[in-house]
Amino acid sequence: MTEKQDDGLALSHLRVLDLTEDGCMLGGKLLADMGADVIKIEPPGGSASRIPPYYKDEANPEKSLFWFSYNTNKRGITLNLREKEGQDIFKKLAASADIILESLGLGFMDSVKLGYQDICKVNPDIIYASITPFGQSGPKAHYIGSDLTAVASSGFLNACGDPDRAPVWIGFPQSSQYSGCEAAIGAITAYWYRLNTGEGQFVDVSMQEANMSANMNTLQMWDVNKVEFNRVGAFSYVAATGVKQPIYFKCKDGFVMILALGGNPPYVPSSTNLVKWMDEEGMAPDWLKNLNWEVDYNAAILKQALADKVGKVIEAFTLTKTKEELYNIGSFERQILIAGVSTTQDITEDIQLAARNFWTVITHPELGEDIPYCGQFAPMTESPVQFKIRAPLIGEHNREILKTLGFTEEKITKMQEKGVI
Amino acid sequence: MTKKAFEGIKVAEFAWVVVGPSTSRYLADHGATVVKIESHKRLDTNRINGPFVNSTPTPDGSMFFGKHNPNKYSVSIDLRNPQGKEIAWKLIKWADIVTESFSPGTMEKLGLGYEEVKKVRPDVIYLSSSMQGRGGPHSSYAGYGQNAVNFCGLTEVSGWSDRLPSPPYGACSDYISCRFAAFAILAALVHRRRTSKGQYIDQSQFESTIQFMAPPIMDYQVNNRIMTRNGNRLPIAAPHGAFKCRGNDRWVAISVMDETQWKKFCQIIGSPELATNQKFATLADRKKNEDKLEKIVTGWTLRHKTEDIEQLLQKDGIPANVVEKPSDIYNDPQIAHRKYFTPLHHPFMGNQKFEAQACFILSKTPRLLDKPSPCIGEHNEYVFKEFLKMTDDEIAEHIIDGSITTEFTEKIISTF
Repeated sequence: MTEKQDDGLALSHLRVLDLTEDGCMLGGKLLADMGADVIKIEPPGGSASRIPPYYKDEANPEKSLFWFSYNTNKRGITLNLREKEGQDIFKKLAASADIILESLGLGFMDSVKLGYQDICKVNPDIIYASITPFGQSGPKAHYIGSDLTAVASSGFLNACGDPDRAPVWIGFPQSSQYSGCEAAIGAITAYWYRLNTGEGQFVDVSMQEANMSANMNTLQMWDVNKVEFNRVGAFSYVAATGVKQPIYFKCKDGFVMILALGGNPPYVPSSTNLVKWMDEEGMAPDWLKNLNWEVDYNAAILKQALADKVGKVIEAFTLTKTKEELYNIGSFERQILIAGVSTTQDITEDIQLAARNFWTVITHPELGEDIPYCGQFAPMTESPVQFKIRAPLIGEHNREILKTLGFTEEKITKMQEKGVI
Repeated sequence: MTKKAFEGIKVAEFAWVVVGPSTSRYLADHGATVVKIESHKRLDTNRINGPFVNSTPTPDGSMFFGKHNPNKYSVSIDLRNPQGKEIAWKLIKWADIVTESFSPGTMEKLGLGYEEVKKVRPDVIYLSSSMQGRGGPHSSYAGYGQNAVNFCGLTEVSGWSDRLPSPPYGACSDYISCRFAAFAILAALVHRRRTSKGQYIDQSQFESTIQFMAPPIMDYQVNNRIMTRNGNRLPIAAPHGAFKCRGNDRWVAISVMDETQWKKFCQIIGSPELATNQKFATLADRKKNEDKLEKIVTGWTLRHKTEDIEQLLQKDGIPANVVEKPSDIYNDPQIAHRKYFTPLHHPFMGNQKFEAQACFILSKTPRLLDKPSPCIGEHNEYVFKEFLKMTDDEIAEHIIDGSITTEFTEKIISTF
């Protein structure tokens, strides 16, 4: 295959074969957005990740917004890896690739003779990253997983939700996205090693682990003090006393979070500022004005009854205001630790994102439309993300890529008829 | 001979709390040398939050700090003291990568912002990570990941449709942001190697985190649909949720992802007739009657232990897992097998298990935790002598003028 053209982006000298699905596709996107030539490989007919939501709700795999989101800047081919011819083509591609990413399940790539050892025979320096629910070996390695079971296995599901109902996840699946990021970071870590030694290696990503750091301090609560953390819903929980401090409040048009806590800075000045604001609007009872946030509302001695009482008067105040008022005035004029519970509409209309030119527009010629996308994940001065092409259509680059491997038009058409591509 | 992947890479970490320190772990756990720049006068929030060993709040006793900082050296200097700044400059000149996560403008006010640093070290890779990034009307926004999960849209989609949102615990936006920051730094390292150019990375944790919400955001922008919360349900699968099991607050997560799994599932729960029942035969039917479906599933799960259900369903290829509690995690044989926690002896906290940050194992240069999280200023002498080549006399002068800090000035009260 021809040498990849270097266009000056950080990773533009790298070629990547992307066999991931679901949110794991984010890993290949990170590499592609940094300039790598990422070839997304789908089974003939299209990937199972071409799922809703759809453009204008037209249930069509070519209009999956989920697919669009994770596959910008990639090229796409279809390949039947269960057929010998498909496997041969994959090996040819792998021979000139730097990185392979896959999430097709433990043992699948080995079963079609395209596992790490097989690829090493055609490209000993390959960096090969596999994402599986539990990693490549160990007592649970053979388990199959979903995004939800991954969150459950990481302990994070247990930490979320109201205590009187089931533990509850973040409604938009996160585990596979964490895993995709880990695969990308792991691949570049391995690439750095290869730059220094010339050697490739295998990157073994576990989805169970990928969601685990989100537990913040709950695992250590158990390990250090044998305090078992259980979900507390919309409260700040003090493990030492079991007290739940209200921090979520209804407002006129939704919800806000206010870190109405005491004890230490920055909470004490923030809470004091909140009471001052309430007082100016005649909504701070005397007992609240007299409350010493450093001493009386110190988590070490705070009682549940006081926490509940404080929560009630704060909510009476927040109910008189909108999310935007509370956020804009509270955060920026009054230095209160406050955040609106934003919807996707609020995010879309956010003035900070607009001011930083966050949104980027990518043209979809076949839809006759420019679609706004989430922009750079972190602006970089010398090697910024450049959005060039929308996600590939099914088999869009079959001919282009197969021709560089030396296949003729006739041969390509024949393979198409046979369902190889 | 096996080397570590990032051996020789040097990081000066001015960053604190979660995002910055978690970011540098990806480098530290693969061999980079990371020096944390701290001060007794302004403690890293990590150090004043628990859990603490013996439940006693003290800056060297927090395993919350321990989680984010193994494999690092700690020095304590006062950046507001001109002589402290001198040491900071020595560290900056020593480092390949500088990270900071103060409110925008803080490093600039100290004269340690990127523009100043670039003059001395044009090839430095400099990460600034803040809630909402440089520039724009909300750049000064102060807060923690606990704030960010809300404005990043994660809270709104978490919980039950008939209730207030149930926010995801803690600060998961921090743990999302650190992945993007780490990836950006690695890309910048590769870029520097190819071009000899350093660069500035201006991370807005807001912009990084909402990448994990990209499809629902696009659904609003294209279709005007606002995503909200719907328990553990997923449009493309049913049953899909956490179901109550036998025992005290024990739950199992089950995802029946396709029709083959559904037929098997019906057999396992002893109700094969459900597979052909017109209320549940197809995914569309099951979505329509999901309340009823979930009641039937719970009727079965309540009679069994969560571990048994996990094994029973996994045996037939249906995704299921115990909703693991923290105590389960430490008994999970898979976690043990991959050595996700590393037991290390900490000079103050004794034997503790330190958590990995990288969730991948490289076959030739695997992640390695060989140093516990540092006590504050623990490596002053070592770092100043070995890395910065300072003399005993120089170090003594800095201690006398207070630019190397040794005493706490604030009392420690744990917030959680």
